[in-house]
Amino acid sequence: MDWSMLADPNILTVLVLQGLVRGAMYALMGIGLSLIFGILGVVNFAHGELFMLGSYVMYLVVGIFGMPFYLGIVAAAGVVFVCGVAIERGLVEQLRRRAGRDWISDSFVLTIGLAVVLQNLAHLAFGSRQYGVAELVAGSVPVGELEISLERLAIFGLACLAVLLLWAFMKFARTGRAIRAAAQNAEAAETLGIDVRNLFTVTFGLGAAFAGVAGALLISIYPASPTVGAEPLLKSFAVVVLGGLGNVSGAIAAGLLLGVLEAFTIFIAADGWQNVLTAYLVILVLLVRPAGLFVLGGKRA
Amino acid sequence: MFLEVNDVVAGYTKEVSILNGVQFAAEEGKVTVILGPNGAGKSTLLRTVYGYLKPRRGEVRFRGELLNGRRPSEMLRHGIAYLLQGHSVFPSMSVEENLELGAWIFGKDRQARARAIEDAYDHFPRLREKRRGAAGLLSGGEQRALEIARLVMTSPKLLLLDEPSVGLMPKLVDSVYEEIARLKDRKMTVVMVDQNVKKAVAIADQVYVLKLGANSYDGPQADFLLRMDEIVKGWL
Ligand SMILES: Nc1ncnc2c1ncn2[C@@H]1O[C@H](COP(=O)(O)OP(=O)(O)OP(=O)(O)O)[C@@H](O)[C@H]1O
Ligand SMILES: [Mg+2]
Repeated sequence: MDWSMLADPNILTVLVLQGLVRGAMYALMGIGLSLIFGILGVVNFAHGELFMLGSYVMYLVVGIFGMPFYLGIVAAAGVVFVCGVAIERGLVEQLRRRAGRDWISDSFVLTIGLAVVLQNLAHLAFGSRQYGVAELVAGSVPVGELEISLERLAIFGLACLAVLLLWAFMKFARTGRAIRAAAQNAEAAETLGIDVRNLFTVTFGLGAAFAGVAGALLISIYPASPTVGAEPLLKSFAVVVLGGLGNVSGAIAAGLLLGVLEAFTIFIAADGWQNVLTAYLVILVLLVRPAGLFVLGGKRA
Repeated sequence: MFLEVNDVVAGYTKEVSILNGVQFAAEEGKVTVILGPNGAGKSTLLRTVYGYLKPRRGEVRFRGELLNGRRPSEMLRHGIAYLLQGHSVFPSMSVEENLELGAWIFGKDRQARARAIEDAYDHFPRLREKRRGAAGLLSGGEQRALEIARLVMTSPKLLLLDEPSVGLMPKLVDSVYEEIARLKDRKMTVVMVDQNVKKAVAIADQVYVLKLGANSYDGPQADFLLRMDEIVKGWL
């Protein structure tokens, strides 16, 4: 390894850009997981399968029906949102009603089971083949004598747009404000006449939609297959541990940071080592700052 | 009767009942105080009235209407407000956002919301000064003011208060009780759980004492004051 290559501004730029693209996906996945955990307290082990659903929707809309890619993304967001709503109302809510005080630990079993069911349904419907879309956006931009593909930049831009939309929704929409309130004190929100049950449903749908958008955006890198969600799920757990459980802005920062670190690791070591680095980082953070890197004073959010 | 709790049995788990047949009534326009040792079930009684817990037996009636089985989020629209035990502001949201949420049941009616928030500021000018600041950074007294402002901004008929003066500086404690006594002038009915026997009873019309999830005493203020030493013996 020639370390002097890291001093080349062009190489640095490309690595950082690649890292940010990677990180944008991690952030999208982590945001969804964090939202759901932050409001409902449920750790969604089926989050990878929602990513998978998004990638199949993208494949159908863009690969089969030949529609433009942005329609595929909107469709993935919509379909997976509806799936999330159905999962919350049909399963999570039922469990919460029936299982009483221990429903949170039971919900782990529920979402793990759901992941298995969804994977097998995908297997039944599409088989184990991978379905990809070759290139969403053609072309590339030069960075010195190197280049970075326009597609990667588009992925990054669209991921940022999704985050921006979520931010605006949380900040300015009535429902968004109520979701933030319920995350801080659900009982107090109820005393103000806010139906927290509905917020749970909307939040689960939103979190799911983020996983769906991630799956759709990354179809050319992660083609749709029944088990495509496994790696994104692992990465989103890493992001959530680094950023602090239930902390959405922490998930964004941790996702981008992890993406860039991984891009450098792949460049310096080899493909595969980034997963080792991530694992070590997670263990280190759990030991030193269990509340997450971006939580002030080390208190849990 | 305005609020009536009849022979209510309720608890947090199937095996254990915390309330064992509690009887309780609050008269319109009056302050009714619920006293009792720690763990007697005072908060549990309020939580059961508000729908956080379902009565296993017995009934809760508000102005004759059965409340059993209604959810907490429906209560404020029925005119029942609840001050939870401990602080209940949304700490990382601004004072104004907290008040906006207090006006939630006005829905899309911008004018009603704006008017309610303006009234709250007029009543507690300190809150107007700090409207942009995070509610969690307010002092304990200011947080309590925000909670009370949020509580009354929709003009509820019945207020359930769980230990409204706990944790406040002594000089603020009196102002909280004055505030509560003034609610009576606004035709609000108050049901208050409290540990501060002297100050609570001073503004009470009717007093209840709960012990181990069951009624131990009830009577008007004058009677309680007469027999106070005997009634509170053992838990103060
Ligand atoms: N969420 C809960 N889950 C299980 N048990 C609870 C819960 N909250 C209270 N309890 C139990 O119910 C009993 C009554 O509690 P409650 O909070 O109603 O008492 P209290 O009279 O309000 O006491 P305090 O004056 O300390 O607030 C206690 O034994 C308590 O341990
Ligand atoms: Mg209590």
